[in-house]
Formats: sequence, structure tokens, C-alpha cells
Amino acid sequence: MEAIKNAFDFKDFPRLDMSVAGAVFVFLLVFPALPHSSFAMATMIQFLMFSLYGMGWNTIGGYAGQVDLGKAQYNGIGAYTTAVMMVRWDVPFWVSMPVGMGLAVGWSFLIGYPLFRLKGHYFSIATIATSLVLKDLFEVWDFVGAATGLQIPIRSKLPDFLYLQFRHDYYYYYILLALFVVGILYLNAFRHSRLGFQLRAIKDNEDVAKSLGIDAHWCKIKAYAVATAFVAVVGSFHACYNFNIEPEDVMSLDLSVLIAMMALLGGAGSLWGPIIGAAILVPLKSYMGDWLGGAAGLEGLNLIIYGGIIMLIAAVQPRGVWGMVEAVRARRRGGYAAS
Amino acid sequence: MPLLEVKHVSKEFGGLVANNDVSFVLNQHEVMGLIGPNGAGKTTLFNCIAGHFPVTRGQILFDGRDVTALKAFDVSRLGLARTFQIFQASGDLKVRENVMVGAFMHNPSRSKARAKAEATLEFLGIADAGDHLMTELPVAQQKRVALATALATDPKLLLLDEVAAGLNRAEIEDMVALIRQINTDKGVAVLLTEHVLEMVMVLSHRVIVLESGRLIADGEPEVVVKDPEVIRAYLGDHLVSDEEAAHA
Repeated sequence: MEAIKNAFDFKDFPRLDMSVAGAVFVFLLVFPALPHSSFAMATMIQFLMFSLYGMGWNTIGGYAGQVDLGKAQYNGIGAYTTAVMMVRWDVPFWVSMPVGMGLAVGWSFLIGYPLFRLKGHYFSIATIATSLVLKDLFEVWDFVGAATGLQIPIRSKLPDFLYLQFRHDYYYYYILLALFVVGILYLNAFRHSRLGFQLRAIKDNEDVAKSLGIDAHWCKIKAYAVATAFVAVVGSFHACYNFNIEPEDVMSLDLSVLIAMMALLGGAGSLWGPIIGAAILVPLKSYMGDWLGGAAGLEGLNLIIYGGIIMLIAAVQPRGVWGMVEAVRARRRGGYAAS
Repeated sequence: MPLLEVKHVSKEFGGLVANNDVSFVLNQHEVMGLIGPNGAGKTTLFNCIAGHFPVTRGQILFDGRDVTALKAFDVSRLGLARTFQIFQASGDLKVRENVMVGAFMHNPSRSKARAKAEATLEFLGIADAGDHLMTELPVAQQKRVALATALATDPKLLLLDEVAAGLNRAEIEDMVALIRQINTDKGVAVLLTEHVLEMVMVLSHRVIVLESGRLIADGEPEVVVKDPEVIRAYLGDHLVSDEEAAHA
């Protein structure tokens, strides 16, 4: 019960934050009713998806400080579970989504147990490797369509809420928006929970954490599982939204890096950080990718810009945009005067 | 029944013997000083007792249980808390949140952990620092927060590794009063290593001395500091032999 109370406890944020959050939420709620292009709608859907990816990543990468660059494999597991179950056995989304989540979390335990014996960069590199290996396996596995992937057949009657097939994007949009709100509430409870505190202590200093009764290895595995669950759910959704999935699309290294980068840019280890990061990078990614690749013929320049952003975060404020906000606030509040 | 029994503990790092056949007993509610020159193996011994290092040989009993093979997080749950010599106060955690991490050990609920943290900060006289980041506090206050965090786990024994390092005279006196208060008011036994010998002398009921990994003395503070072997360990052979030569 306390978890539910914690989920709605935003008291530690100043009123300004909550007003901004409220305004943003109202905007998100009415966005489909405002005049917009289908490209803008697609971008908003991407924004919500990446916010959810980032929220999940934030548990292990932000609060626990373990830079995970292999989230794409769990996106793939979620997407493929849903696609395979729909294509082969005609199972609805609402059944295949939890199954995919379960499979992904199970896989995350298998991967996480040995991987969290590694520290720092070695851990990050290992997460990349496991993700790429899984992608390679899927590319040669005929049961899941190998490299060509799977095509989900269109239902005869639309809209279909069981199989998540709609003619208009705003259906997808509102389903994602609901997940987005649930995600924020869950993470708000998470950061107030014992595990949330323990992870932040581990990030601070693992030896000190251990001396406070914290089983650091097990806590990281738990956080990794939470992160995985978020990503797998979005993966399942992605399969229905795109109809067509292939390994290169749902399990690429690009996706893993983008997830981590958005959360880091916005502010890893803070509630709003991943959302801010997605709000900055997703439009940049869609519009810039479109314009640079199509109009200006400068395909690949967006990757250079990503690289620049990563360097900028590392050099200026490792805690991202939200870190800057907090730094300004700390300065205004003034230091501690010992009494 | 003694609270802590260290029996013939040795710790080797490759060829280096950091602790060599160390044995001692620490009683309930006792304050014990662990002294010795730099590199004598004091911090290593702490790390062995607290479960951060596995011992090479020997046995450690805490509160009647064999904790030799236990990991640090298991040992701490049995009631053995510690502070660290090198205290890094980085991080996103505010002071209150830091102490809550300790309080969460026995209170899974956030509101209880928070109340426990508040009470502990109050007890250590830094209740007004709760909303600040660790980095905003002066060193003396940071040390108190580290102490508060350890204390919030409700320990039976507190291992203090150089809590006075970096403190000035007045702050050391405050720290002495604080440790005494923890010992008498909460009944927590204390094992402390310290370079500030005065502090060890006034606080400790008993003192043990390590030199090159070996235990060379165990007794009341006044007796131990007069022990010729202890003086030799601190001041070196030639000084003692010069003195002896002068007597001769």
C-alpha cells in the first residue's frame, strides 16, 4: 500500500516542476485534437516510446549507475514474442505482451547474473556483446523469419483493440500515453522504494553500500529486470505499431545507444531526465534524419551530431539537462551553515 | 559471551602478509582502540572482520556466530556497522537520504526509514543538514553523516576507521564526545583505529596494537603505551636501543 502512496508522492519537487509537468501532460492529452501532420504524430509516438525506454533504462543506468548499452535485445524479445504469437498462433497483444515481458525478464536474469560480476566499462561492453549475439542468432533463426523478419497479418475488422491494429495513429498514441503515465507513477514509487535508495547508494560507493547490508549484485540484477520489463513492453507495442519487424530494426546497436543517450542527455538518475532527453533528441532525430538524409543528401551527419552531444554531456554536465537545473537550484538555496 | 572473537586470523595478498595470526576478543559495550604504525594492517583487519575481504586463515565470531565466510552485506545485517577511511561524498543523495539507506536495513517502509533517519540525525546533532547534499557540508559534518548512516542500521558493534582524520582540535573533541555518547546511550560497542593517539587513549577501555600484521600488545591504554615493544614499533629500534644505551 505504501508503494501506491509513494507513486503519487511528488512532494519533493518544487511547485514549478509540477506546474510544468501538468502543462506538458495537458498538451500530450489534447495533441491529437490539434492540427498536426502525420509526421508530427509519428514523432510524438516515437517520443513516448523513447520516454518509456529511457524510464526503464534509468533504473539500471541512472539510479544504479550501470551504463547498459544492450537494451535492444530486450526490445527484440518483446517485439518477437508478440509477432511470433500473432503470426503463428493468432494470440492477442494483451496476452503476448506479458509473455514477452516474462521471457525478456527471464533472459535478463541469465544475462545479468554473470554480467554484473563486471564493473564499469567492462559491463557496458559486455551488454553490447550479448545484444549483438542475440541479434545475430535471430538473423539466422528460421522460426522467427530469419533476416527478413515477420509480417503481422492485417485483421479484417479495424479498429481491433485486442490485436492493437488501428487505421489511425491516435489510437496507438493514447495507448502509449497511458503506458507513459503508468511508467512515471511506477518510477516515482521505485525511486522512493528501498531498492531505489539502495541502488543510489551502490552508485555512490559500492563498498559503503555493502557495509549497509546491501547485496549489490542482487540489487543490480533486480534493477536490470525492471529496466528490461519496460523495454520489452515497448517492444511488444512496436511490433503491433509497425506490423513488420526484423532484427536490424528492433535489435540494432543504434537503438541501444539511443536509449542510453536520451536518458543521459536529459539526466540519468532523475525522474524527468529520460523524458526531457527524449523530448530533445526524438524530434532532432526524426526531423534531422529526414532533412539531412533526404533533402540535403548528408546522410550520416546526424550520427556526428549524436557523438557531439555525448561529448558535450561528458564534458559539461554528466548529469545532463536535469543536472544543470539542479545545480542552479542548489546555488540559489545556498550552502550549509553549521550551527 | 564476547561480542567479537578474532581467532588466529591471517590475511595474505599474494606473498604479502598483511595480518599474521591475529587473535583478540572484544566484549559487549566495550570501546577498543586498534593502533599501530602505517602499514601495520589495521584497515586490512577491519576489512576482514567486516567481510569485505575473505581471510586466508583463522576464524571470526560475531555475537556467537561464525561470520568468517560471510559477505559484508550479511555481516552488517547481523549488527556490525562500519565507517570508511576514505569517505567519498559524491552522489545525488541528500544527507537525510544517505542516512535512510542505513535505516532501510531493518525498516522496509519509507516512512519508518525516514523517521529513523531523522531521529539518528537528531541524535548526532546534525538534524538541520538533512536537506543538503553531502558535498555542501564541511568535513566534520560529513563524518557525522557517515556515522549516522552506520548508526541507523542499529548496530551492536561499530568499526570506526580514522574518523578523526582531517579534523581540527575542537572537532576531534566533539567527535570524542559523540562516540562516547553512542557507546553509553545506545550501548554500541566500538572498535576504532586512529592516528590521533590521544583520542584512542581517552576513549578506549582497552587497546590492541598491530605491527607488521602481528598483534604485539593487548591491554589497558596506560599499560600498552608503556610497553617497550609498542614504543619500539612506533619509534623504531635505534631510539629504544639508544635509550637503553644511555641507561647502561
